[in-house]
Parts: sequence; structure tokens; C-alpha cells
Amino acid sequence: MKPEEHKYRPPRMGERLLKFIYDESLIDDILGDLDEIYQDRAEVNGATHAKMLYLKDAVLSFRNYDLRRKRKVTRNNKLPMVSNYVKTTFRTLSKNRIYSTLNIMGLALGLAACLFIVQYVDYEYSYDKFHPNHENLYRVKYMVYRGGDLDIDCAAAVPRVGPFMKEKMPEVEAFVRAFPMESVFESNNIQYREQRVQIADPSFLTMFDYPLLYGNLEEALNEPNQVVITESTAKKYYGRTDVLGETLEMVSWPRGNFKVVGVTADVPNNSHLKYNVLISYETLNNQTRNDDGQASSETAWGWYDFNTYVALRPGTDPKVFDAKFKEVLWEERGEVFEKYDFRADFPLQPITDIHLYSNLLQESEPQEQGDGDTVFFLSVIAVFILVIAWINYVNLSTAKSLERAKEVGVRKSMGAYKKQLIYQFLVESFVLNLLALVIAVVLVILLTPMFSQLADAPLSREFFLRPSFWGIVGGILVLGSALSGLYPAFILSSFRPIHVLKGKLTTNKSGIMLRRSLVVFQFAASITLIAGTIIVYQQLDHMKNLDLGFDMTDTMVIQGPASTDSTFNSTMQAFRNTLTNKPIVEKVTTSSNVPGDEIFWTRGMRKLEDTQDKNFIVYLAGVDYDYFESYDINILAGRNYDRSLSTDTGNILINYAAMKSLDIVDPEAAIGVKVNVGGDTRTIIGIVDSYTQRSLKHDVNPLVFPLIEQNSNYITVKLSSDQYQQALEEVQATFDRYFPGSPFDTFFLDEFYNRQYANEQNFSRTFTLFALFAIIVACLGLFGLTSFSTLQRTKEIGVRKVLGAGVSQIVMILSKEFIILLAIANVISWPVIYLIMDGWLNNFTSRISIGIPVLLVAALLVMLIAIVAVGYKTVTTARTNPVKALRYE
Amino acid sequence: MKGSNLGEFEELILLTVAALEQEAYAVSVKEELERRAQRTTNISAIHSSLYRLEDKGFLTSAFGGATQKRGGKSKRYFQVTNAGYAALQQSKDLRQDYWKTIPRLAFVKL
Repeated sequence: MKPEEHKYRPPRMGERLLKFIYDESLIDDILGDLDEIYQDRAEVNGATHAKMLYLKDAVLSFRNYDLRRKRKVTRNNKLPMVSNYVKTTFRTLSKNRIYSTLNIMGLALGLAACLFIVQYVDYEYSYDKFHPNHENLYRVKYMVYRGGDLDIDCAAAVPRVGPFMKEKMPEVEAFVRAFPMESVFESNNIQYREQRVQIADPSFLTMFDYPLLYGNLEEALNEPNQVVITESTAKKYYGRTDVLGETLEMVSWPRGNFKVVGVTADVPNNSHLKYNVLISYETLNNQTRNDDGQASSETAWGWYDFNTYVALRPGTDPKVFDAKFKEVLWEERGEVFEKYDFRADFPLQPITDIHLYSNLLQESEPQEQGDGDTVFFLSVIAVFILVIAWINYVNLSTAKSLERAKEVGVRKSMGAYKKQLIYQFLVESFVLNLLALVIAVVLVILLTPMFSQLADAPLSREFFLRPSFWGIVGGILVLGSALSGLYPAFILSSFRPIHVLKGKLTTNKSGIMLRRSLVVFQFAASITLIAGTIIVYQQLDHMKNLDLGFDMTDTMVIQGPASTDSTFNSTMQAFRNTLTNKPIVEKVTTSSNVPGDEIFWTRGMRKLEDTQDKNFIVYLAGVDYDYFESYDINILAGRNYDRSLSTDTGNILINYAAMKSLDIVDPEAAIGVKVNVGGDTRTIIGIVDSYTQRSLKHDVNPLVFPLIEQNSNYITVKLSSDQYQQALEEVQATFDRYFPGSPFDTFFLDEFYNRQYANEQNFSRTFTLFALFAIIVACLGLFGLTSFSTLQRTKEIGVRKVLGAGVSQIVMILSKEFIILLAIANVISWPVIYLIMDGWLNNFTSRISIGIPVLLVAALLVMLIAIVAVGYKTVTTARTNPVKALRYE
Repeated sequence: MKGSNLGEFEELILLTVAALEQEAYAVSVKEELERRAQRTTNISAIHSSLYRLEDKGFLTSAFGGATQKRGGKSKRYFQVTNAGYAALQQSKDLRQDYWKTIPRLAFVKL
């Protein structure tokens, strides 16, 4: 019968609802029942009423939603199978404890290393991103071209450019200038030397995100002689943080009493621009005001000591801005450029790029300057390690496939689909990855303080609370399970049940090939990392031991006292004399800079007879009579300053690089040449060897050494012995006697100088650590692999032994394969090492060359480690009684 | 299994099915309940109990008797199984047992 023959049509909506509620196997008779009742009701009460009741019944039927359905759903549910897979996984794991430990630990180590690097890289990239407006903040660079060559490439610009940009360029919303300096403050008769002092515009506090804890944004830094200090500085001077209105005395330039108008939170570690004290810009203007009331710290176009930052209107393209500003600048300065034949340019640099990608003159935190290449390199290593760890998993699982083959055969003959088997092995890989990840995360969380010290980056555990961290962890888990699980899953699931159960399974060729190439890859990576580590160390060693042109052994440097009043010269002289008379002191010299220090004092220099357009930039370091002798700096020609000649103030010593810039070839010929240095006429009396004033990462600049008898910046004390503790005590006692109240800050020059290589040292330490990680992981993999291949050949070994083979022969047979693989790995890795490391070494002005010995050492080292890893298993196997071996199975 | 005990409504349904002999299906069970026990029930409750009792093994079912009134859809006829009878018997015996222990005097008040 057809439904159309119905007298009354039940409501479709009700039927649809019922079809949704009830299972397919029930719906027919239930629909029939309701229909029957509906017809009866419709006869009695009318169709509308019946329809209402039908709907009511249908709605009430929701209580039967799970009727019969549950059992049916259960029948098709994958959950019991998944729990079976997990169960099987744990059974397999506990059946082969060593294998499982190796597999999971290898993976966990790899993941941990990777997470460490992620954490470090994340920190390096986080620099200056805490400013809410960081996308629109730029630093104004200062570049000067002379005769088409780049002469100055400097982080600090001139004071006029900031206001000028704001006036002429509508895109500029705000600008700030910060003049970095070092000063000495006094509080309660104790003097402190502050390294991080910035003379800053009031906009410093509004443009950047350095929140004021106390004080008023509208009033802070508006007037001369105001300071804003950080929380910890306030604590240092006053023991508390609410110090508004207090007075801080500054005993070094620009001297005076300063009113504290604000206290900010401490500067975050990931800021490239750090300060402890901010001094109001008007203070500087007062210092530099001319007779006509113009302050050169507002008008100067050539004084480049001012870190200048601008906030651009959102959406401004810095490239377009740069091009536009070039024209605007030409209108203002073109005449001067033409006249003196030079060009100045002020390109913008995103503030977030400064930490990693900028290495200019006068960087704000040169010791901290990161290296984008290194960070990128580390990221690559992280991926490498991760891949090695996953490869291990793939290797071990496929190696074990023989053992699992029977299981697969049984499962298949019981009716498992290929799809289900793939699913099973993916679940297995997921479980293993998860276990490894848990171990890795625990390891990383526990070891973060240690790693933070090693990498010299203030990494904190807060990182682990961030969702992005867990995003990465989740990503690694999913990707790892899929990547490391898919191949074994496909291999294992494709076994033919008949073959497997008959025991006829032969490992297929492509599987062996793949496993071999994976091992080769692992070893190539390990060799690369080891060789890389050795080369980094060699280069560091080379730099440390290179003849720098000066002597820094047993050299102690005191930072000069702050106050330079009228009696300073005589006090200084007396202090020097007292020191020099001590047996432990060999020589004392005062200078405005010491080797390893960045020189900020620059002037133009040219031969006296040359025109002004021949001017080139020289760096000035004021020295006294004993400087060159104390540092054992070679004078190539001419003589040193002489105490007995009062005319020497009109003479000058320059270094070899400066001589070359003067177009003089022979040092002897330079003696007696008259030069113009910043407007003063001087006669060259000596040429000094181009010793490495800054690190080998920098070229040697043209240096000029004017004679300044009583320098106040640095007092160098050359010691006659290495009794540092005693020397320190004696020198401090003398210092305190002559300069009471002055802070006694001292350092040993070799430490100070080598701090320039801190980055490279951190890099090499981190690099070593990760190389170690990679090798351990690779060896775990190799160990596991050998265990299995020897297990498979147990019978063969037994037969060989019965026929008279010795232990050494068997070990040879078993290790032969790996030695061949290692050889191939070497062939692959050598060119890679050469390419990568040669690029790195090119960063240095004096570099080592990559020799064959390094490569051989790396190869031998890896081979040795591999033999140890392989050897244990092979030797035990080779030594077992053949009876046992032949009884096997 | 929880289902070896019969609920009150379940027992009633089971008895109804037994009483209807060959003619027990959802609608007839509902009508019989209304007639005999003066209980109006929703058809969904009847469905629920019938299928659950079948799951418990107290009922079996078979299709048959499609009518035009039902839109050509067949009925599901239910029959009490041996287990069902046993459960009913057990339930009855239990009550009987209790009845025997209640002193007759207790009913005098009624």
C-alpha cells in the first residue's frame, strides 16, 4: 500500500523528528504505531488536534533517543580498537625495554633540545616588541658618504635631524633623542658610577613603553636638571622606590643637583635601549648654549652621538619615507654637501631589527648585540635535531618490523583492514611521541635556569605558560607522530599475511636502503656538527692568541675618578707616583680609551696643504707619555712623546691605518708631515703599529693619539706579577687615599677585551651542547639498530662460530656495514661543513682556514663513538656460546 | 544484570503483552493499559519499555499486519519469552511471600 492512500496525512515535521530520534531499525514500526494512533485521533477529534498530539508524542520520544542506538554505535566505534592499540603499544614497549628506552629517550632528548632552541630563538626575536607601537618605531641611522664611499655608518644620529624630520615630514608623529653617557652620582657621601645614563627628550617616556610608577608624564623631563630613574636605581640610592622630589647629585659632567621627577619600572631585558637614569634634554641644551642663545645640541648637523627614534603614522612605508626625506634633506643641506663634497643620509631602521640585524658604530648595547644569522643557524640546528630524532624512530620501528610481522599477519587474517593497521601504527607512534614529549617538556622546564646561564640569555619559565609554546608543542606532537609514524605504518601494514605466517618474510630491499640512507644522514649531520664545533673553538682560540699588537697580560684598569677639580692634576700626579713606586706595579698610564673600548671621539683629519674636501674621519684616543710603553705597542717610525720636550703638545702620533688614509706609503716619510686634526695643526712625530683597538670582527680604524697628560677616563696599571688579589688591595687602598669617596671600579683588561667575543663564546658553548645532543641521539639510534641487526643474524653467527670464526672476525663482519655507511656520511658532510663554516669564518677579519685535520678528527670521533655504540652489542653477540645461538627460535 | 528485576511499569507492560496474547503491539498495549488499568500513557513511554524489555530478553518481536491505517507500515508484535514469564512469576512469588507474612489483623481497619 502506498502512503498516498492515507485518509489523514500525519505532520511531516513530526515524522522527520522521529526519523532523527529513532534508529533506522526501529523507525518503521514506530512510525506505523504513531500513524495508527493519529488516524484514530483524527477521526474523533479532527486533524488539527491530532496533529498537535502527534507532534507532542514525537517530542516526548526524545527520551528514547538512545534506544537501541547505543549498542549499534558501540558496534562501529573505534574506541575499543584504539584502546587495544594503546594496550598493544605498551605491551610492545615493555617487551623490549632497552629498545623502548632508547627510542623514547632519543626522541625526548631531540625534542628537549629543539624546545630549548625554540625558547632561545623566541627570546632573541622578542627584542623591543614590548612597545605596543613597535611596528611604527624606527631608529634614524646616520650614514656619511665621501667620494662615493661609505665613511660613517652609525647608530647615533645628529641632534638636529629629529626635530627637522618632525617639522618637515607629516608622517612623523613623534621623535625622541637619547644621548648615552656614563656618569657618577653621589648620595649619602657615597659615589656610584652609572653605566646606563641617557640624556633624553620628554617624549622618551611617551613614545616607548617604559611605564612611570611615580611621577607625572606631562611634567617629567621638561625642565633642566631633572632625572627619571628606574625602580632598582631608586632602591640603590634611597632604599625605597617612592622618591619623587628627592635630589640626586651628579659629580661628573654636567655636574649639579638633579631633581627626581619620575620613577619607572626597570627596563626589560629584551630592550636594546637600556637606562638606569634619564636626564632631561634641557640640561644638555643649557650646557651647549652659545652666546646667541642657540644650543648646539638642538642645531648641530655633525655631532653624531644622539640615538634618534621616530614614531611614524601607522601604514607609512619606510622606504618611501626615506626617499622623500632625502629630497627634503637636500633642500636644507644640499649646499653644504656640495661645498664639502660629502653626503649625509638618515635612513630609518625598524626598532625591532636593531638587536639582531644591526651592527653599527655606537650601538646602544654593543655587548648584547645579537646576531640574526646565528639565531637562524640555531633554528636550522633545531630542525636538524628534530629530524634526526624522528629518523631514529623510523629506523628503529622499521628494523623491528620483522618482529611485528607476525602480529600484523594474525591481525590481517582475523580481518583487520590495511587502513586499520596503518591507524594502529599511527596510534603507536602518537603514544611514543607523547611519552617523549612529556619527558622533554619536564626536562626543559627543569633545566631552563641552567640553559639560560649557558646561553647567557635571561630565559624564564614564563615561556611555558604561553599558549604559543603549547601550540608549538602540539604542532611538534602531531607533525612528529605523522612523520615518524607514516612510513613504518605503511611498511608494516603492507605485509602479506600468508607470507608472514609461513615465516617466509624477507626484508625488502627498499626498506634496507631507506634505513641505510637515514643512518647516513644522521651521521653526516653529527659529523657536520662536531666539525663545526671544533672550527668555532679553533677560531676563538685563534683570536685569543693572535698578536693583537699590544699586550694585555697582568693589566688592571681603573676607571678614573669623577671629580676633576682644580687640584685634580696634582692629585693625579701624586697618585701615579705612589703607585709606580710600589714593587707590584710596573707602569702606570692614563688615557681616554683602552684597547677593546669603542672610541666615540672623532674629528676630521687631512694633510695641512690639502683642501677641506680631503678630510676623513679619524678616531681620537688621548694618551700620556707612558701609554705605548705600558701596552707594549710598537712604534714603527719616529718616536714617542717625550716628557723633556714641552713642544710635544703641538705634535701627534697616529697609527698606520691613519697614515695610509693620508696617502703616505712609507712610515719614515710620514715623520714631520703637518696635518690638520679637527682644525688644529699638528706635526706627526711617530707612526704606531695598527694594533687591534677593537675586536677582530672590526677593521682597524685610523687612530690619532693626542697627548693629554692627565686623562681622567682610565688609569691603566701594568702589574709586575700575577698576584692579582694583593695588587687589587694595594691599588684600592692608594686610590681611596687620593680620591676619597670616588667609586673604585676596576677590571682586568684581558677579560674586558675578550668580552667582545662573548657572543661567539656563547654561540660555541650552545653549539657544542647541541652537537652533543645530536650525537647522543644518533648513537642511541645506532645502538638500537645494531641490536636488531645482530639479533637477526644470531643464527648466522652461531654457524660461523661453529665453523671456526673468531670473535674479532665476527665483530668485523657485523661492523662492516656501519663503517661503510660512516664513510659515505663523511663524503657527504665534508663539503657541507666547508660551505657553512667558510661563510661563518668570513665574518672575521683574521680567520683560520679549514684544514683536512679538522674534518678527519670529526670523522674519527664519530667513528669512535659509533664503534663504541655498535661494539658493545656485537662483541656480546660474538662471544655468546654458539649452542645458544643455534638453539635460538 | 540490573534488568533481572522488573519495575512496576515494566511489569505492567509485560503482563499486558501476556494478556493480549498474539495481538500485542505498541498501540494495542497502550489501549489495553488505558482500558484495564485506567492509565493514560504516552506512546513513547510504551515504545521505550517494550524495546528495553526485548533487550533484556523478556520479549521477542516479529513483524506483521501492515494496514492502510498505518501508512502501509507493519506492526511489531511482541510475545513474552520464557524468561519473561519466569520474571513475572518471580515477581508474583515475591509479593505472595510478603503477603503471607503480613498479619491479617492489619486489614481489619480497611
